[in-house]
Amino acid sequence: MTNHDIHHPAARLEAARNTLLAEFTHMPADEFMRRHSRLFDAYFRQCCDEDRVRAVLDIHRNPYAVAALGGYGRREQNVHSDVDVLLLFDAAVPRRAETLVQEIIYPLWDIGIDVGHATRSLTQCLTMAWQRMDLVIPLLDARFVSGDPALFSRLMEIFHKRLLGERRREILAWLAETNARRHLRFGDSSYRLEPNLKEGLGGLRDYHTMLWIGKIKLGLQQARDFEYAGHLSHDEYRLFRRALVFIWDVRNRLHRRCGRKCDQLYFQSQINVARSMDFRPLGGRKPVERFLAHLHAQMDFIKQQHFMFLQQYDPRGKKTARRARRTRFDEIVVAADALRFDVAESIMKHPALLMHIFGESARLKIPLHPEAKRIIREFGHLMKTPLIADPAVVKAFEAVLKEPAPTFNVLREMLNTGFLQRLVPEFREIVHRIQYNAYHIYPVDKHVLRTVQTLKKLGTAISPVSCPLANGLWKNLKQRRQLLWAALLHDIGKGFPSASHAATGADITRTVLKRFHYPEKDIDLIAFLVRNHLMLIKTATRRDIHEEETAIHCARRIKNRQRLNMLYLLTIADSLSTGPKAWNEWTAALLRDLFLKVANIMQHGELVSHRAVRHTENKKKAVLNAAATAAEKKRVGAILPLLSPRYLISTDAPDITTDIDLYHQLGTGSFVWKITRDTATGTRTVKICARDQPGLFAKIAGTFTLNHLNILSAQIFTWRNNIALDIFDVHPPPDVIFEKEKWETARRHLAAALDGALDLGAALRNKMPSPARIKPIASKNPHRIMVDNHSSSFFSIVEVFTYDFPGVLFSITSALFEAGLDIWVAKISTRIDQVVDVFYVRDFDGQKMDDEKSAAALQAAILARLPDIE
Amino acid sequence: MKKIEAIIKPFKLDDVKEALTDIGIQGMTVSEVKGYGRQKGHKEIYRGAEYVVDFIPKIKIEIVVDTSRVEEVAAKICEAANTGKIGDGKIFVLSVDQAIRVRTGETGSDAI
Repeated sequence: MTNHDIHHPAARLEAARNTLLAEFTHMPADEFMRRHSRLFDAYFRQCCDEDRVRAVLDIHRNPYAVAALGGYGRREQNVHSDVDVLLLFDAAVPRRAETLVQEIIYPLWDIGIDVGHATRSLTQCLTMAWQRMDLVIPLLDARFVSGDPALFSRLMEIFHKRLLGERRREILAWLAETNARRHLRFGDSSYRLEPNLKEGLGGLRDYHTMLWIGKIKLGLQQARDFEYAGHLSHDEYRLFRRALVFIWDVRNRLHRRCGRKCDQLYFQSQINVARSMDFRPLGGRKPVERFLAHLHAQMDFIKQQHFMFLQQYDPRGKKTARRARRTRFDEIVVAADALRFDVAESIMKHPALLMHIFGESARLKIPLHPEAKRIIREFGHLMKTPLIADPAVVKAFEAVLKEPAPTFNVLREMLNTGFLQRLVPEFREIVHRIQYNAYHIYPVDKHVLRTVQTLKKLGTAISPVSCPLANGLWKNLKQRRQLLWAALLHDIGKGFPSASHAATGADITRTVLKRFHYPEKDIDLIAFLVRNHLMLIKTATRRDIHEEETAIHCARRIKNRQRLNMLYLLTIADSLSTGPKAWNEWTAALLRDLFLKVANIMQHGELVSHRAVRHTENKKKAVLNAAATAAEKKRVGAILPLLSPRYLISTDAPDITTDIDLYHQLGTGSFVWKITRDTATGTRTVKICARDQPGLFAKIAGTFTLNHLNILSAQIFTWRNNIALDIFDVHPPPDVIFEKEKWETARRHLAAALDGALDLGAALRNKMPSPARIKPIASKNPHRIMVDNHSSSFFSIVEVFTYDFPGVLFSITSALFEAGLDIWVAKISTRIDQVVDVFYVRDFDGQKMDDEKSAAALQAAILARLPDIE
Repeated sequence: MKKIEAIIKPFKLDDVKEALTDIGIQGMTVSEVKGYGRQKGHKEIYRGAEYVVDFIPKIKIEIVVDTSRVEEVAAKICEAANTGKIGDGKIFVLSVDQAIRVRTGETGSDAI
């Protein structure tokens, strides 16, 4: 045989097929498939009529028939799907059948058609199907093509009577099991970003399964019978068909593009398919996003119909006779383990029942009957204002929202029936909305429902996180209702293109909740959570969380522990429900660390109180306003962000201005100072601005002591640009006549000490050795040195309670320096003879002194430098 | 050819990536890793419970470059990843025997 013979049926098929493929995008997919199938029908008929086949087999002596199976049998032949045929013989397969295959099948292979063929006798066909369930299913779609029609009829007759008649239950059970296994393996295509058009949930196989069950159980002949026999309403069938045609169309285009059979819609194909189907950009959404959203919607519809059909005509046909339970509403009844409306008319009178049936479903954990879902879809439009704000409706919805639902998801049912969208119309904008980025694997609507579900799993046996912290926080959370609302609405802003979906979402949240007449306080809280739902994860991954300012910044925006807890839980649930790339141990560790640090800052609240924040902001403004010229304003403005929160809280605005001036005088020097006289007390205030270096504080204290400048109090701050600002109140030098000269000497001493030219310790020992014993004036408590590692996540806090003696501050700070500790913040005060010194320290590497051994060593070192108490 | 492995702070990834793109580095492999060096783990106390962070989350970047570019690339990473504080990370430079581009079979410098 030669294919090159243009009169050969294969050549004619190839030509006709090429013509059809060239224009297939211009016709509905079902029409194309019909025409495509017809081409093959014509081929097989021509082959059988051809002289050469007749020469091989005499149909009268060896009756045979060609039957179409599978998609070809249903006249749904896609571009590159296999063409499945059965070569059926009457008695036995004659030896010459091999030649027949060569004559009919090989030419198809030669022109690149994937043909699956079986050559069997009538008896073989039936025995094999009797033994193997997977051989039963293709026969369900079998269709006579050519050869002896009587032979084919006999096969069908026996098939229906014997096989389907006697083994119906087994076949249905096998079908149900295969179906469930397939769903498990291929997942839900109605929201996958790379859906499988055939095998996934919502794919074509769901439709096939419905058809097969219909054929076996209900005696349906073809898809149309779903409507004719009343299993789908007219509208449902119309939409069902529309969905199928769309999926077929996508599949054909995908096949065409790949040049082969291919059912997984990968990213690289999506853009082309979307373009070829004329999807255009709209409202900030890319063509491919709109395409995939539309495809998801169609697959979702198939999926819903598939499940409703399965629920109604459970292939296994078993009815569990559970005790019928009563609902709280006369109009809602439990029948056949499902909830349904007693009489549909009652809904016209009481549309709130549409919500209550979901409430009952959540409460009783009984699913809705397909008929009830149908009614909800049809009558959903009755759910509008003011009814949606009816307290009973809102309450029922919140019950659904709060219902601990590890296995049974009523909220999803509300979405599937379109009812959630009636209750919260803004939801419509996020249904099937795709997010094209590396993290999201679900459309927005599925993602928010998963987020709600994930939260509710926390603290239960099926909690997705092992960390006891998150589980405990959820268990102890009092405002679960508010958090669940926030989870439901956190991405609602994604339906309304804007610069920040979180900010837009917060505004929409307000609108939605106001419609439900929510208390203002709750609205504020929920809108806050929606607006800031990305704050923690962004901060944890993009900011230095080992920097105290980071935690302070978060703490100030979040304001209190309850909101922090809720935001943390929302972040976890949101990330977990996004996809595997958004959540892992690594991210979890970062996020938890940030949470703990912010919680700690809040617990020791002086830096985050409302007043502190307000004062700080006012001060910054005042300092900026005090700047005279524009250039000055710019200079000051550059410094302001570098000032530490502690410094800003405890310094007055005019002082900040002078400090910034002082900093500008520093230039490239190692320090500058400014001495002012307090006219009331006669003491001097020395402000020193210096480049920070380990031991700086000790050196300043030592210098003062060396120059007989008695230190009354001191504070030190470290700015973010590594500048230390130290403020000392000291008694003036004893001899005020030469005060200026005295200060100059001190200044030189400090410069030498900082350079390393002057050993202050040695100089002090020579000049004024520390007293061996001191005698307290009033109380006689022993020295107390406390190391606190809990109060701050960033510093070890060392508190020293002792009695005043010359050089006390130098002694303590030198001990800190020698222990390898850097002082970041210090508050030194002396009352009569009692000294209370507080130091916030870290080691030279910037870490806390976490282990108890070094804490004990430090205590001993400081104590050794303090004189005995008499 | 050398492989440069850099361990950096997570929030510095964008800076480093940008700096390397600026000098024409075309590709890199990034992984989320955990570990500790001189920056030891720490513990946090929350409501009386201790939470120990013993391995600190870091980012590991791997780049293979021509030997002539090692110093430049390492310097860029240092500059971009520096905060002046503990835990800024480390850079390791390793010898690479061969590189092969899978698609074309090109080898050596052509493949990187």
